[in-house]
Amino acid sequence: MAVLALPRRRDSADRRRHTTGMLLAIPALALFAVFAIYPMLRVFYLSVFDYSLTTPPKFVGMDNFAHLATDPQFGEAVLQTVVYAAGTYVPALALALVLAHALNNRTRAGGLIRLLYFLPVAASWVAVSVIWRVVLNPDGLLNQALGLHLNWLTSSDTAMWGLVLMGVWKETGFFLILFLAGLQAIPGELYEASELDGAGRWSRFRYVTWPMLRPVTAVCSVMAVIRGFQAFSPQLVLTNGGFGTEVVNLFVYKTAFENARMGRASAVAVLMFLLLFVLTLVQLRVFARRDR
Amino acid sequence: MTKPATRPRPPAEAVRVATPVRRRRKRHPGRVVALVLTGLGGLAFISVLVYAVLTALKPAAEVLAVPMRWVPSTFEWSNLALPFTETPFARYFLNSTVVGVSVTVLNVLTCTAAGYSFSKFRYRGRDALFVIVLATLMIPVEIIYVPLYSLVYSLGWVDSFAGLIIPAGTSAFGIFLMRQAIDGVPDELLEAARLDGAGVVRTLVSIVVPVVRGPMAALALFVFMLNWDSHLWPLLVASDDDHRTLPVGLAAMQANNLGSAGVPMMLVAALLAALPTVLLFVTLQRRFVEGVTASAGLR
Repeated sequence: MAVLALPRRRDSADRRRHTTGMLLAIPALALFAVFAIYPMLRVFYLSVFDYSLTTPPKFVGMDNFAHLATDPQFGEAVLQTVVYAAGTYVPALALALVLAHALNNRTRAGGLIRLLYFLPVAASWVAVSVIWRVVLNPDGLLNQALGLHLNWLTSSDTAMWGLVLMGVWKETGFFLILFLAGLQAIPGELYEASELDGAGRWSRFRYVTWPMLRPVTAVCSVMAVIRGFQAFSPQLVLTNGGFGTEVVNLFVYKTAFENARMGRASAVAVLMFLLLFVLTLVQLRVFARRDR
Repeated sequence: MTKPATRPRPPAEAVRVATPVRRRRKRHPGRVVALVLTGLGGLAFISVLVYAVLTALKPAAEVLAVPMRWVPSTFEWSNLALPFTETPFARYFLNSTVVGVSVTVLNVLTCTAAGYSFSKFRYRGRDALFVIVLATLMIPVEIIYVPLYSLVYSLGWVDSFAGLIIPAGTSAFGIFLMRQAIDGVPDELLEAARLDGAGVVRTLVSIVVPVVRGPMAALALFVFMLNWDSHLWPLLVASDDDHRTLPVGLAAMQANNLGSAGVPMMLVAALLAALPTVLLFVTLQRRFVEGVTASAGLR
């Protein structure tokens, strides 16, 4: 079977073949080393320096972190990121899970309806933001539909919720795709067996679907947290971080590239990295299978 | 030395959202209700895009009229030309296309080669390298942007296509996806090619690639769409007039056209910017779904 690795005598031609095979990984690995691994290590290094790109880095120890700890703007950015992420992704995940159940069929209508939810996923964030500036306009679609006259994007009471609404609209379809893939991986026999046992709709969900979906739910939840922390475009395009919407990425962007404090921005990145790492571990543990 | 590993080979099977597992279900009243409800929700979702399309074609006086009208009194088809005549929109579009296609081609090449290497050859350190690649899968790129920028800056690639394209030339999930796919290519096929005198590269091109065309297409589509959406990196590394991609250009256009007179033009621009990926998605839905599930490590 395993022809490639002939046991015992590997002649020199065979050895040469494996060496050539190794070389094929070089372009990808080189790009990776230079543009992912090196910056990854360097972000830790830079986080203890005062650095503005044009001047040589100056070692400042933990000063960057100490400054962040007392910087109200940073605290707000973290809080606003958490609010945005939770506000967007909790409803998006819940909605996607419900929709996945309703749309997990092979009817033509089901396929068409799925498409309606998928389209916002395919459009780019900035294009969607430009469209939503009009939707959220005081005389735009949303207010007209709700019979309101809110100035969504220019008030601290509503700006975040306008962005959250747009986020749910944009992201639900993404998780719908993942949940549908998960549902379809569940063998139909499990349902047949549970139906024979007289299980109702709810207990079929509770005892078959939900446990079988757990790996997908874990992935969705990890991705939701990461995507929440990646938030940037709508906040930049629609409010430029004003009215209580300056998320962490925008804070990093302004710190590094408007105020030329690259070291401090790196310190934020390090904190975000650690936070995401811990959150991912916690989530994987929460969703870990107890059995086996 | 290295032992002949015989690890189980999963079939390279596509995840299909479009065609769920058949279950013998009769027409349930509950199912009809579910379809009606989800259909109404879907209409609410899509109404935003319908509104955007119709508003883009309204005369300027009607765009934010109260009470709102869905259908313009007259369709202003000339609005469609506004982004092209008033702004360098065509340039942004061209830049996005050049960068998107280059990044996609690079990713397909590097990831397929690396996936083949990681899947079918044995060499020291192979598995460790693969694990390192996988470990970066869950790290959002935003975290490394500061050092990445200072690197690209010292390479002299700021305000150049090199800065937009080369750092994005490979991807962890692409390598992972292609390794999984190539794991499913039977060794017998490769051995037969070898006995026929085909070298490593030739085997890749004429035997492996035809078998894994599907996953390669999924990777291409996914990378292209991801890149088309990319905003923060292009904003940092190439936001001058000649290199702006669509997201950066659109944002700049909008900053200059915040009044309601600019609304039709901005909507036309936004819809045109969204069109390529939406069309790709509609025609290649299944490939996109494969890309999404692969990027989530679900297969």
